[in-house]
Amino acid sequence: MTPSLVPLYLRSRGLPGTAAALAVLLAVSRWGADRLVDRPLFDSGAQVPVVVLVPVLAAAVTGLSLHSRSGELDRSAPLPWWRWRGAHLLALTGLAALWLGTAVPGDPAHFGAPTLVRGVLGFTGLAAAGAALFGARLSWLPPVVYGGTAYLAAPRTPGGAAAVWAWSMQPGAQPAAWATAVLLFAAGAALVAVRGPAADGVR
Amino acid sequence: MTTETTVHVDGLTVRHRRTTALDALDLRIGRGVHGLLGPNGAGKTSLIRVLATVAPYRSGRLELLGVDPAVPAGRTSVRRRLGYLPQEFGHYPGFTVREFVAYMAWLKEVPKAAVPEAVERAMERVGLTGRADARIRTLSGGMVRRVGIAQAIVNDPELLLLDEPTAGLDPEQRVEFRALLRELGTTSTVLVSTHLVEDVATACTEVTLLDEGRVAFCGTSGELAAAGDDDAAGDSPTERGYTAALRRHRSARAASPEAAV
Repeated sequence: MTPSLVPLYLRSRGLPGTAAALAVLLAVSRWGADRLVDRPLFDSGAQVPVVVLVPVLAAAVTGLSLHSRSGELDRSAPLPWWRWRGAHLLALTGLAALWLGTAVPGDPAHFGAPTLVRGVLGFTGLAAAGAALFGARLSWLPPVVYGGTAYLAAPRTPGGAAAVWAWSMQPGAQPAAWATAVLLFAAGAALVAVRGPAADGVR
Repeated sequence: MTTETTVHVDGLTVRHRRTTALDALDLRIGRGVHGLLGPNGAGKTSLIRVLATVAPYRSGRLELLGVDPAVPAGRTSVRRRLGYLPQEFGHYPGFTVREFVAYMAWLKEVPKAAVPEAVERAMERVGLTGRADARIRTLSGGMVRRVGIAQAIVNDPELLLLDEPTAGLDPEQRVEFRALLRELGTTSTVLVSTHLVEDVATACTEVTLLDEGRVAFCGTSGELAAAGDDDAAGDSPTERGYTAALRRHRSARAASPEAAV
């Protein structure tokens, strides 16, 4: 029996393993968030490490899944790859946002599930752009570098210019932070869908 | 012998940063098996990658199978009719042979109803039918190379580009592969890049010898063998022809860098 394209594509990109990694991330983030909520002096700000770190990891896992072992052969094929890459990215981002958005309890106006969903969008956009520019194997670099920098350097007071450059550290109800994250996702997804991941070690 | 020209290359220049890989190359190739010879760094892989539509070029003009691959619609059309085996083709160790060849058939947009038969036929032509359900990770290097050849021919390509296809094959497999090349060359244009001069002597109707991105020799394999002289290094007439043609080309370039072909 000759297998069809969809299951072969899913296996070629290791997507069952990616879904499993996201499920593990869901369990760990739920456990971490529950432990934070149980603390006697809990406030929503205590969840910041979870709502920043978890989307970064989810984006890294998603970016790595864009790697193809047969990149040279893929590029010589007539298949409309932009559709496949676009669907690939949308499906994984949707899955991550849905699963992880249910993981974090707390006040949505501060650092709760909406903030985590916003992080998934923005960091996945950065990972997708990283895949297009540096190759899928290095796609984790932009979200990790940006996420770490924003975590350390963002001002404590939300709003202002920081709502854009430190969007990942803003409380949930900052429109500028949401707009930045959505824009990053759209730009990164479009870039990798059209260009594809950069080749690893091309002569 | 070649018939109508299927590959037109005019003034093709490819640069990798500051290195010129192909220097205003002109080439015409028709149906048959065409060997591409040359020392390391001569530009063989660069040429194959440009013809496979996976690498950009700085200047020049290409026409493949009657269409311009620089135009998106033309590129898609060429890719459907193209077979390509890179030096390192990047397989999926967890796939079986059948799954990998089928995956490549889908990528080549082989019509759905024709995929099962195309896959079986490609595996049969490279002698892998008995290992069709073996995972690629369990195969020897030579067998993996044959999987690569199978994926390259699964769409019955009109233009087949093979970069070092015999690397890793044992002598018996190489003899069988040359027979397959001759068979494919009766209906398709086959371009084989190789370091192995004996592959060219026995399987190729025509030969192009590249050196530093330029054509050093173009003719039949018999003409290459005849180009050798007693002073040329080599253990066979074709090897002596290879070294003599290279030596003459380099002398001509040294004497008149612009005039040398």
